[in-house]
Amino acid sequence: MKNSRNAGPPRLADRLLEFFCAPHLLEEVQGDLHERYVRDVTRMGIAKAKRTYTYNVLSFLRPFALKRRSSEYPPIPLFSVDMLRNYIKIAWRNLANNKAFSFINIVGLSLGMVCSLIIYLWVQDERKYDKFHANGDRLYRVIVNSIEKTGEISNSFENSPGVLSGILKKEIPEISHAATITWENKDRMRVGTKATNEKGRIVGADFFEMFSFPLLKGNPRTIFAAPNSLVISQRLANKYFGFADPIGKLIRLNEKDDYVVSGVFATVPANSSIKFDYVRSFESFAKNNPWIVDGWSDFGPSTVVMLRSDASLEKVNAKIRRFLTQHDKTVTDKTLSLQPYRDQYLYSRFENGIPVGGRIEYVRLFSVVALFVLLIACINFVNLATARSVKRAKEIGIRKVVGAAKAYLVGQFMGESLLMTLIAASLSILLSFLLLPTFNSITGKTIEIPLDTPAFVGKLTILVTITTLLSGIYPALFLSSFNPVNVLKGSFSTKPGIATFRKGLVVFQFTLSLALIIGALVVYQQMNYIQTKNIGLSRENVLYIKLEGELGKKYESFKQTVLQSNTIEHITTINTIPTDVGNATSDLIWTTKKPTDKFSIWLMGASYDFAKTLNIKLKEGRSFSPAFRTDTAGFLLNEVAAERMHLKNPIGQPIDLWGKKGTVIGLMKNFHMQSLHRTIEPLIVYFEPQPRGNIVARIQAGKTQQALLILQKAHKEINPAYPFSYEFADDAFRQQYKSETIIRELATCFAVLAILISCLGLFGLAAFTAEQRTKEIGVRKVLGASVSSIITLLSTDFLKLVLLAIVIASPIAWWIMDKWLQDFAYKTELSWWIFALSGLLAVGIALLTVSFQSVKAALTNPVKSLRSE
Amino acid sequence: MKRTYLGEFEEIVLLTVAVLHESAYGVAITDELDRQTGRSVSISAVHAALHRLEEKGMLKSAMGEATAERGGRRKRLFTVTALGSRALHDIRAMRDQLWSSISPNALPAISI
Repeated sequence: MKNSRNAGPPRLADRLLEFFCAPHLLEEVQGDLHERYVRDVTRMGIAKAKRTYTYNVLSFLRPFALKRRSSEYPPIPLFSVDMLRNYIKIAWRNLANNKAFSFINIVGLSLGMVCSLIIYLWVQDERKYDKFHANGDRLYRVIVNSIEKTGEISNSFENSPGVLSGILKKEIPEISHAATITWENKDRMRVGTKATNEKGRIVGADFFEMFSFPLLKGNPRTIFAAPNSLVISQRLANKYFGFADPIGKLIRLNEKDDYVVSGVFATVPANSSIKFDYVRSFESFAKNNPWIVDGWSDFGPSTVVMLRSDASLEKVNAKIRRFLTQHDKTVTDKTLSLQPYRDQYLYSRFENGIPVGGRIEYVRLFSVVALFVLLIACINFVNLATARSVKRAKEIGIRKVVGAAKAYLVGQFMGESLLMTLIAASLSILLSFLLLPTFNSITGKTIEIPLDTPAFVGKLTILVTITTLLSGIYPALFLSSFNPVNVLKGSFSTKPGIATFRKGLVVFQFTLSLALIIGALVVYQQMNYIQTKNIGLSRENVLYIKLEGELGKKYESFKQTVLQSNTIEHITTINTIPTDVGNATSDLIWTTKKPTDKFSIWLMGASYDFAKTLNIKLKEGRSFSPAFRTDTAGFLLNEVAAERMHLKNPIGQPIDLWGKKGTVIGLMKNFHMQSLHRTIEPLIVYFEPQPRGNIVARIQAGKTQQALLILQKAHKEINPAYPFSYEFADDAFRQQYKSETIIRELATCFAVLAILISCLGLFGLAAFTAEQRTKEIGVRKVLGASVSSIITLLSTDFLKLVLLAIVIASPIAWWIMDKWLQDFAYKTELSWWIFALSGLLAVGIALLTVSFQSVKAALTNPVKSLRSE
Repeated sequence: MKRTYLGEFEEIVLLTVAVLHESAYGVAITDELDRQTGRSVSISAVHAALHRLEEKGMLKSAMGEATAERGGRRKRLFTVTALGSRALHDIRAMRDQLWSSISPNALPAISI
């Protein structure tokens, strides 16, 4: 016998025909084709007959077969006023009658939408960084790449030689403007008796011609023409001069030099990655500080160039690649390249010289997460709507019998989900208004809801549409496909496939939530690891005081005064923040140096008691000590440096740093002088006879208050012009991981939201199941089932789903978080307990949610539930 | 005289319907066409022509009996209407008239 399934005409083709052929022609056409098929099978075999059949079906794709005969009944308008009124009435009754379910849906949806809204605003804000410059597409910053002997780029940074910008502009015709921009400076400003500390930068002369920091007063070309010119922000101008014209007025900087205000710029927008309240001329700064433009192998300030509008980036990149070597033959390990200035904020992580990531990764990550949270909320809607479909089956049946076509029912149900989404959307805008201040304080932004801009309203409409579609389309199609005969006969029951689908969705929800929980926990653990890791120097009870004014000159007397008080253990000066060293050189000379020994070594200038104050352990030798007169010409190396210099016995080795000759007096154990994203690199500490940077003081444990008073008093005596300000090393260290802290806060928020919304859905489903099984539970109780057995019965179904979600989520989360941790050179382990804990957490919360309903159901008196039988 | 336009294929299909008399439906017409003219045409082309002819009022149709090989689906049986018959006759008359007007030596002889 022939297998009837295989012998028949191809199913797919048949389906296709049924789909496209006009109903009034279908019978004869399909009959004819089948008849021909039967003949073909006997003539040419099944395989060929099937092909022919398919071909024949396709040949019916002709207008006459596609064209539907117009109905003999007048068409019913889709939106008649009466029907619309009815739809709205029914939708409202459904909302009002099932308050619990409506609540779950609306709250869930609005939480999901709040998430999406806030993240959308955040992403927009991040993307807007540095995009406001009119010449944005021609602005590039110079990136310096360190080349290893193997030819690979090991490291890329924006610190460039100070001399670079001027010479680039002179020698590369494509570069029309170039400016050096220094790091942020904090300077003391004084006008008359008014004095404050202000943040500013020292920038090249082309600065205002390149960037769109609009000058309110002054000419961008000549603004730095006079020596000691100062350009200040509108804010500063108002602060110091009120409504008077600030041009030509004097401001005293650092109680030393008088500067003339030569221009005023509009306050720098929040979405600029460089922020400043004043700028001074780099060219005149360099005249007094020749070290900054001295040499091609010292990397400090950044350099930004503007290309001519007809220049090609590739050509310029090729020209400047070997620029440093061309000007200084000894610089063989550095190449230059350009990065679009407007990308610098989002793409700051380089791999092999190519910007691959940075904040953009978080932007992407959180966009996905926001979408997921919204999806979880939509799933709640889908699940509850399909689960409760039985309740509406009769309505659908009647509607169909009195003539509703499927399309009208789909419209009706989509309309209902639109109503729900609209309520949720208005609620979410309200919630966003309430939550934004908190969000802004976490992320340090000033985001507002731009309800008055058409672009935002457009995006909001898109959000509402997407949410409506995501949550409404499946229930609408599902509900409208009920067969009225079955429904009205009372023999209606949903297919088991639907229940499986719902379970799948619940598993999906919990998988997402669990992944978020695991993610948040890993971020927490890593942050904890960073903050408690022994980084090789101790940060506890250490504080930094900026060396400014007279403090540098009178450091010795300050030191003596505070040490006498017996509250300060040790005190030293360091020219940078010891956990954030930012200057490097490759100019170091030692006796056994080979021409191939070329690498950057980070620089730190310190004075006596340096190692003691920071608790840096010395492997060999000693730290700078006043007992040895020659120590002022001494150097300390870290282990990595000694290794890279191939020094077996570094102590006593002569070293030449920029002509400063001395010997190595100590070998320090490695400590982290930079963020834990980076591995420990070579470091040399030289003696700084004239203290610069910061005073670093170690306070005796438990005497913080007294010590601060002593320090303040001494500071006031020696440096009365400046207010006493200090920073704890711990806080400064934490500040370095600000973006990770933000990520941690946000990840936690999202994880909590996701699990909350998922549980809302679970709660709804559990309530529904309990309601459905009321009779069953009654019968079981009558027959002697215990309360606990009924609770188990009702809860296990849901627990299974959560357990399945744990199994799925763990490897996915492990993979993602493992990738995240790759960014850190020093990282915590992904230990099993994180997964166990998040699993337990999820199970616990789910159990709590479900058991509320199951306990309620189990405790119901069976007399009540069975009374009506 | 009002002319009825019939395409060549339509004319042949119309004739075939007449040939098959009361058992003219899609597949049968296709087969008959194949046998009589040696033209292998697709069923869809025949259906399309039948549909057009019916719209022009030269054919009328009714559902016939179902058979097992058709999966229980009925055939649509076509019969030629008076208008169809008139059209066929017109065409034939016109052809005959033309043939009779050809002088004996005008066409090159075809020897068999």
